Parts: sequence; structure tokens; C-alpha cells
Amino acid sequence: MTAAVLDQLQEVVEARVIERKKFKVPIVFASTTVLLTLLYGLSARDGDAQFMLGSSSDFVTIPKVVVPGMTTAWITIGIMVVLTALAFVLANAYKKSPWYATVLFCVAAMFGFLAWAGAGAPAVVNVVNLISGAVALAIPLVYGALGGVIGERAGVVNIAIEAQLLMAAFTAALVATVTGSAWAGLVAAMVAGFAVAAILGLFAIKYRVNQVIVGVVTNVLVTGLTTFLFQRLLVPNQLTMNNTEPLRFSSIRIPGLSSIPVIGPILFNQTIIAYLMYVAIAAVWFALYRTRWGLRTRAVGEHPQAADTMGIKVNGTRWRAVLIAGAIVGIGGAYFTLVSNGRFNWEMTAGLGYISLAAVIFGNWDPVRAAMAGLLFGFAMNLNNILGLLHTPVPSQFLLMLPYAVTLLAVAGLVGKSRAPAADGVPYVKE
Amino acid sequence: MKRATKLAAIAGAAALLLSACGQAPPEDGASPTANDTAAAGGGTAVEGFKPCIVSDGGGFNDRSFNQSGLEGLQQAAGSLGVDYIQVQSASDTDFAPNIQNLLDQGCTFIVTIGFQLADATEQAAAANPDVNFAIVDNDSSAKGLDNLKSLVFNTAEAAFMAGYLSAGVSETGVVGTFGGQNFPTVSIFMDGFAQGVDHYNEVHGTSVRVVGWDREAQDGSFTGAFQANEQARQTAQTIIDQNVDILLPVGGPIYQSAMAAINDSGRDILLLGVDQDFFVTDPTTAPILLTSILKDIVVAVNDATMEAGAGNFSASTYVGTLENGGVGLAPFHDLADRVPAELSSEVDQLKADIIAGKITVESYLNQ
Repeated sequence: MTAAVLDQLQEVVEARVIERKKFKVPIVFASTTVLLTLLYGLSARDGDAQFMLGSSSDFVTIPKVVVPGMTTAWITIGIMVVLTALAFVLANAYKKSPWYATVLFCVAAMFGFLAWAGAGAPAVVNVVNLISGAVALAIPLVYGALGGVIGERAGVVNIAIEAQLLMAAFTAALVATVTGSAWAGLVAAMVAGFAVAAILGLFAIKYRVNQVIVGVVTNVLVTGLTTFLFQRLLVPNQLTMNNTEPLRFSSIRIPGLSSIPVIGPILFNQTIIAYLMYVAIAAVWFALYRTRWGLRTRAVGEHPQAADTMGIKVNGTRWRAVLIAGAIVGIGGAYFTLVSNGRFNWEMTAGLGYISLAAVIFGNWDPVRAAMAGLLFGFAMNLNNILGLLHTPVPSQFLLMLPYAVTLLAVAGLVGKSRAPAADGVPYVKE
Repeated sequence: MKRATKLAAIAGAAALLLSACGQAPPEDGASPTANDTAAAGGGTAVEGFKPCIVSDGGGFNDRSFNQSGLEGLQQAAGSLGVDYIQVQSASDTDFAPNIQNLLDQGCTFIVTIGFQLADATEQAAAANPDVNFAIVDNDSSAKGLDNLKSLVFNTAEAAFMAGYLSAGVSETGVVGTFGGQNFPTVSIFMDGFAQGVDHYNEVHGTSVRVVGWDREAQDGSFTGAFQANEQARQTAQTIIDQNVDILLPVGGPIYQSAMAAINDSGRDILLLGVDQDFFVTDPTTAPILLTSILKDIVVAVNDATMEAGAGNFSASTYVGTLENGGVGLAPFHDLADRVPAELSSEVDQLKADIIAGKITVESYLNQ
């Protein structure tokens, strides 16, 4: 068969795939609408909901918006019904819903839900703080996910993100306190992430041990090590070794950009680690898709034999990817002790590394999408915070499940088919 | 491949070893203390009395209830002139094996710390009727075991005083609280605090609000875990955004994240401590610490151990109250000038009124 024939075949097959009616999006829309309708119908709340779109210290002060809670909720249901109907019509006509319909649907659902929850509540929903808090919550997740993406794109599964975050958080606290410089702590955190990555690389790449097992063992090792050192070293010397409270990075307002209404205070009134994150997302995307290094890294993750035949050193490339990824995750670890909290505590990462791993898969092994996944999770976590103040009839235990429920819904409903790099997790042996 | 497997095995073993070390240091604590005070005299223990203690996941140097529990046991063991054994739990799955370990070591009196150990303790107590147990922070009296003593603290009474005080000190008229998880031992602080604020409003005709706890629903703002991290900082931040100027975080180290959020806000926001006097256990809180709601676990464990050591163990529940000094309010320390003298004396009067039963503070312990 000639290449031309193959191409033709491919086109025919692709055309067929597209021609199938896909009802996934309209079904997710419909079920969300039905659920919210039931919620509003069964548990009506009186009163107005108060929203704020900024704080009084912003450049442009937006006054408080007060809307009648239930009316607003039902209006958003109306919008959602229309969008759902539209999605069904489009799907029936073999067409995909446009992405902005999904965004509009999500915004309507969220706004309606908050209007319902805030109805008659004594608390004000500050939308800007809600989203800027979500960004802050997402930061360690995004760094973890970026590291995960690089590693897995090169074919090394990194279960040890949790260990890298924890080790980096520990090292950042220790070094920053001892040297009196948060910057030194940040660099040390990157070295710590790098060091844990070296353990991972040693076993996963050099000794070809099952990568999942290596990752899990590394997590246990680092958890034990940091807890041991914390109790034996940091606790007795808290003020001299584990006190970053006076050193923590504070938020920096970027002149100009931070004066943009709504967006400004959300994105441009963050800490230096957040700004580094914006740069890191762009840089990782660029490096993976637009540079020779990225092409080679992806090649060894997809088809190491082919890459090897082309003269690319498979294991060398993987080593480099894993070590760079470790340093990136290290910055995320530093966030725990240089921004979030004024000292290290044992097991303070509390499983965020595993959620980063989920963000990698949810983001389909793409740095930008993985970062978005991290943001979604951060948003759900912060939503739980504000809902806790609104005296909703939903018990707090259910609210705490929200981030996980949202992630599950998004993965199942709105994300397309995800595909891991073909050689992900498979050690390379030269034949 | 052989070498690789070996290396992996070594790494695995090292990992397990380290995690074991991290959580359960060698139990060598006993002899020095015992020797020191045994020489000084102290009480007399029944023949073969051996007190032992198990921590929950927090570890014995948590600057909180595990540490206090151990201190109480050490004091008692010191005055009785006996050795003791301490074991730390690394995780929930360690509780039962740790208790069994202590039983195997011949312990005759076992203190377990935290309601998380309740199931393991109750089962062990039922299975070993000739060993006495005491559990801190959990009411196991409903089980009817005559070898298990519950040591609980009606911190709602002290939190009531703190709530009243905060309502008086607050300038914005909004005070806030949040917890780790909605457990009775956590929410008792939040509920008592809210009652105190309500009482202040009644007495002074003000309308100070509590953010983060809904008395009617018995629910509020929770971080979901007892970890100081971004989640806790954002929970604190969300509450601070509601114009709160006094904050009561309840649950292990989450107060540290609250402190971070307070410092970040650049506003004049005060912190309330729980369990122990933060001024003593964590001096970095001093500049913003209004007071702490105290729970005297040291004395409770010490008394229970002394009782058992003298052969007078009783399974009757100990409830720490303002009356018996089991709970209380710490001094105002550095921020004493923020509390007007009149308010200070009102709070003192409140204590007297609660003890005298003129004011009833509701909690799960007196329903």
C-alpha cells in the first residue's frame, strides 16, 4: 500500500468517527441542570445574596451587588435549560457544542448555586477573593502537575510527587530559617526536589525497578525521613530552624496589571511563587512543544526504540527530564513553608502530590491543561471555604467532598478521551 | 536485575525503618525521670504498677494534647517512683497493635490519647478486664466498662468566656472561628465561643456576629484535616474577608496557617489559642494572641494515674470544668491593655456565674 492510500483510509476512518452522534456534553449539562433544579426546588432559601467583585483597596472599586437569591437561581436554571437544549440540538446534528457554551454553562451553574447558597446568609461572597484564593490553592498542585507532565512525557511515571513536595517543604523551611533568606529556601527546595528525583531516576531508569513501586517507596521514605527529622531536629529548635513566619513571601501587586478590574486582583496580586508559576506553565509548554529538547523528550516517552535508532540517548534524556521535573516540583514544595505556613509540619502536604498526579491525567499529559485541572481543583476547595460561611443546609462533611466530586464530574463528563504517552512507565532496555 | 531488586529492598527497608523511627522513638524516656523523683520520695504505688501511654498520630511533641498527656503521666510516674512506657502511633492502623504491645509489656494502667483511639481502647479494655485504662478526650462511659476511665473537658465553658471577651474586644463587631473537622471535641470550642458572643449581645444590647459556626445547624467552617497548609490559610482568609477581627482556629497546627493569614492581611486581627497557653507553647503567637482556652490534660492524666497507682482506680468519668480547674482561660499576656478593666472583671464574674450555675453553657457533655 502506498502512503497516499493510507492517508485516504485515515481520512475515511476519521470522518466516520466524527460522524457519530456524541451526547456526552448534553447529558452532563442535563444532569447538572436537573440536580440543581431539585436542590433549589426542595430547599428554597429566602433573602438576598450579596456579592463583591473586588475589595475596597482595588484601583477600581466595584460596589457590592445584591441580588434576590432564589430569583437569580431560577434565572440561571433557565439559561442552563436553553444551553442544554442547544447542546442536544447540536449533538443531534452531528456537531460539537462550542467551548464557550460549556464555559457559559459552568458560570451560570456556579453563579446560580452561589446565589442560592448566599440567599439570606449574613456573609458576603467576594468573587475576587474566591478565585484568587483558588489560584493560591492551586499553586503547589500546578507545580506538582508540571513536574509530573515532564516526567511522564519522557516515559517515567512519577508517583513520588508527594515525596518531592514534602522534602522541598522541609528543606525550604530549614534553609530559609537558618540563612534568614526565603530565596535561599526556595533554591534549597529546588535542590531537594532534584535530589528526590535523583532517587527516583536511579531506581526507575538505571535499575529499571517498577516505577510505581519506586514512587510509593520513595513517598514512604521521605515521609518517614521528614517526620523523623521534624521531631528530632525541628521541634526542639523551632525558633532557630523552623520559623519562616517573618520570612514568608508576601503578595506583590504588579503596577498597572493589578488595576484591571476583577482579573487584576485575582492574577496580579499574588506571591512571587505564583508569578513563577505563570512563567513555568508557559516555559514548560514551550519547551515540550517548540524545542528540540521537547521533541526528544516526547519521543523517548512515545517510542524509545525509534528515538534510540535516531541517535537520541533514551536514558540520558529521561534522566534530564526527571531531574528538571524534580526541581520544578521543588518550587511547589517551597510554597508550603515559604507562603502558606510559617513553619514545617510533619506530613503537611497531606496527599496533594497524589492530586497533582490526578491533574496530570485529567490534563491529558499537557502542561496547560494540567494547570487548568489544578486550578479547577483549587476553585472547588475554596468554594468549600465560602460555603462553610453561608449556613447552607449542606453538611460541611459533604462540602469537603466537593473538590473530589467536581474533579470526578469533570473527568468523566467534560474531558475527552485521555491518552498516556505510549512508553509511560516502561523502562527502556537497549536490545 | 538482581542488584536492582536488592537495592530496592534495602531502600524499602530503610524507608520502613525511618518511618518507624519518626513515629516511635525508642522507649527510653522512663528511667531518668523515675530515678530523679523516686529519690525525692513521692507516693507509694501498688506492687507491680506500670503506667503506659499511647499517642495518636500527632506524636508526643505536638505541643498539644499528646505532649500534655505524656507530661501528666511522667509527673505521676515520677511521684510514684515507677517506670513508664510511651508509644507513639504513626497512623490509625497503629492504635490497636500499640495497645496490644503495651499489654504484652505488662502494663497495668494504659492511657490513650484522643478520641481516635476510642474503638481500640474500648476493645482492649473489654478484652483485658484486669488492666485499667484511661482515655483522654473521649467519653466512653456509655460502654459501661468498669476498667475504662474517660477524661473529658467541658471546654465550652472556657470558650464561652473567650467568646464574651472577644465580643467585647472586637471593633468590627464580627468574630470568626473555624475547625479541623466537625468532631465533638472540636465543635465544643466553636459552640461555646458562639454562645459567649450571644450572651455578650444579650447583656450589652450589641449585635456582634460569629462567622464560621452556625449554632442552629451545629455546623460551620472546616478545613477537612488537621494540617497547617494552604487549605487552612485560605479557610482563615475567607473568614477574615468577612471583616473579622478576632479568630479562633480549633485543631492542632491549623492556628499557624491562621497566623499566616492574619499577618498577610495587614489588619489588626487577634488570635485565640486552644488547649494550651500558646504564649508558652508557641511564643511566636504572642504579638497577636488575645488569650487561650485551656484544657488541663496534664493534671487530669496525673490525677488519674496517681489514683490508679494508689490502687484506687475508678471508672467514673472525669469532666474538666471551670469549677475543678480542668478548663480555663489563659492570662491576656502582651495584649492585656486591649482588654478594658471593666470587661476583664465581667469575664471573671462570668466564670463565677458559670460555676455557680447561674449561667448554663450548653455542650455535648451536659445534655
